[in-house]
Amino acid sequence: MQRMLQLILDTIPNQSRDGITFHFLLSNNKMSLVTDSPVHSSSSDDFAAFLDTELDSNSDISPDQEEEDDYDTDNKRIKRCKVEVSESIEDPQGSTSHGDPEQSLEASVMKDVSCTHPGVMGGMCIQCGQKMDDASGVAFGYIHKDLRLANDEIARLRDRDLKSLLRIRKLCLVLDLDHTLLNSTRILDVTPEEEYLKNQTGSLQDVSKGSLFRLDFMHMLTKLRPFVHTFLKEANNLFEMYIYTMGERSYALEMAKLLDPGKVYFHSRVIAQDDCTQRHQKGLDVVLGQESAVLILDDTEHVWAKHKDNLILMERYHFFASSCRQFGYNSKSLSELKSDENESDGALATVLEVLKRIHSMFFDPELGDNLADRDVRQKG
Amino acid sequence: MFFHIVLERNMQLHPRHFGRDLREKLVSKLMKDVEGTCSGRHGFVVAITGIENVGKGLIRDGTGFVTFPVKYQCVVFRPFKGEILEAVVTMVNKMGFFAEAGPVQIFVSNHLIPDDMEFQSGDMPNYTTSDGSVKIQKDSEVRLKIIGTRVDATEIFCIGTIKDDFLGVISDPATAS
Ligand SMILES: [Mg+2]
Ligand SMILES: [Zn+2]
Repeated sequence: MQRMLQLILDTIPNQSRDGITFHFLLSNNKMSLVTDSPVHSSSSDDFAAFLDTELDSNSDISPDQEEEDDYDTDNKRIKRCKVEVSESIEDPQGSTSHGDPEQSLEASVMKDVSCTHPGVMGGMCIQCGQKMDDASGVAFGYIHKDLRLANDEIARLRDRDLKSLLRIRKLCLVLDLDHTLLNSTRILDVTPEEEYLKNQTGSLQDVSKGSLFRLDFMHMLTKLRPFVHTFLKEANNLFEMYIYTMGERSYALEMAKLLDPGKVYFHSRVIAQDDCTQRHQKGLDVVLGQESAVLILDDTEHVWAKHKDNLILMERYHFFASSCRQFGYNSKSLSELKSDENESDGALATVLEVLKRIHSMFFDPELGDNLADRDVRQKG
Repeated sequence: MFFHIVLERNMQLHPRHFGRDLREKLVSKLMKDVEGTCSGRHGFVVAITGIENVGKGLIRDGTGFVTFPVKYQCVVFRPFKGEILEAVVTMVNKMGFFAEAGPVQIFVSNHLIPDDMEFQSGDMPNYTTSDGSVKIQKDSEVRLKIIGTRVDATEIFCIGTIKDDFLGVISDPATAS
């Protein structure tokens, strides 16, 4: 601790050090605050100011001063270089080779000069750490709330992604939620004939057993489509899966918890309404998978205007009466008939067979060695 | 990095606490209000270590609440550019990985992961060297260097790197020998 403090004190230019109203007193290896002079109310501001200069001092360091310090072999000074290393961007010394350990500390930083700023997270470049305030590139809010990636970086990631997926013989699968994997209704819209469902809801503590859930905090009732657990388990062996819904993020995440309680299928790959780059359209632009290896399951065709070739259109799953009415069906809903889609030959079981076939055609060894040139869109 | 500093705060106290343990009430409320919070200016308040001074209370008109200016000593934690931290990996994806050092979240992009480590997708996504000897996955402990910090009113976010000498996994059982 003492060394650390010494180190930080060393980094403060002498003039400004005098201006700081608090002092660290280092005695008996213990740190305590000098309290003989009463701390007046601006002390916290001074501390903050000191921290701010620390953080923003890139331009404050004059080249001369830097040069002197670089050749100073005093131990503390070396440490000092370490602290300031990421800020000595303009220092020409660092561009030398990796041989010298002191120099190599700076070498990694020297790449800053040529950094292409491939992406921004939390307002900083993900490669050089520089503060970036312009909002260019594509937002990937589902990975991190303020992540943006440049187009070149997206292309690079897709390319790498394809290689790593093909190595483990997987493709990408984008899954819609409503009417594809499940059906939700507002509790408000539950008809008298559906009242019985309220006694049949599964426990939210162990969702792997149930298929009907009451989410009071969202005022919703959700029914998972029959076969969905088996579907996800088997599809997971063949695909890297995404959820992609026009619903809100909070809803999407709740549904992901019901579908994937063990968090093995989707990880951070849950894309919701606010991730879409175009209104009322779903796009593969926010999916970090190569389009030639992406399949989409969705019951709504028109949202995938740009990616019709990747889409496998699903028969709509209407379990609740409100859902039927919304789509203009006047007949009784499955819930009102106390019925459901068949588990073993319902829509999800059928489409799983289709997916398996496409997967095995894609990876057909008779087509030669070059997997990267293949395209799911020619097969479906 | 940790600092021991003196901060000041105006504490509002309900009249029901006015008795002989007023001071204790004030201190316990202060701890509850301040410890574990992040101030953009000073970093995370880790612990209050002492009370410097409790100033004269000011009675608020109408409510009976009294405002006391309290000066207190506390340990704060604030990461800096260039600082080396040990952190626990919380999430791995094809972009890189997230790690936490106490209350600080750090992102290490795959640009700043050594080139010989490749992303492996699957149930437990990870970055692994081609010979399989080093693996970074959720819960791994890594030593990393901060290259950028962003301090907001309520959180501190950092960009880090493990692409440098002596950085990388420190806890993986496979590498410990
Ligand atoms: Mg749908
Ligand atoms: Zn950059």
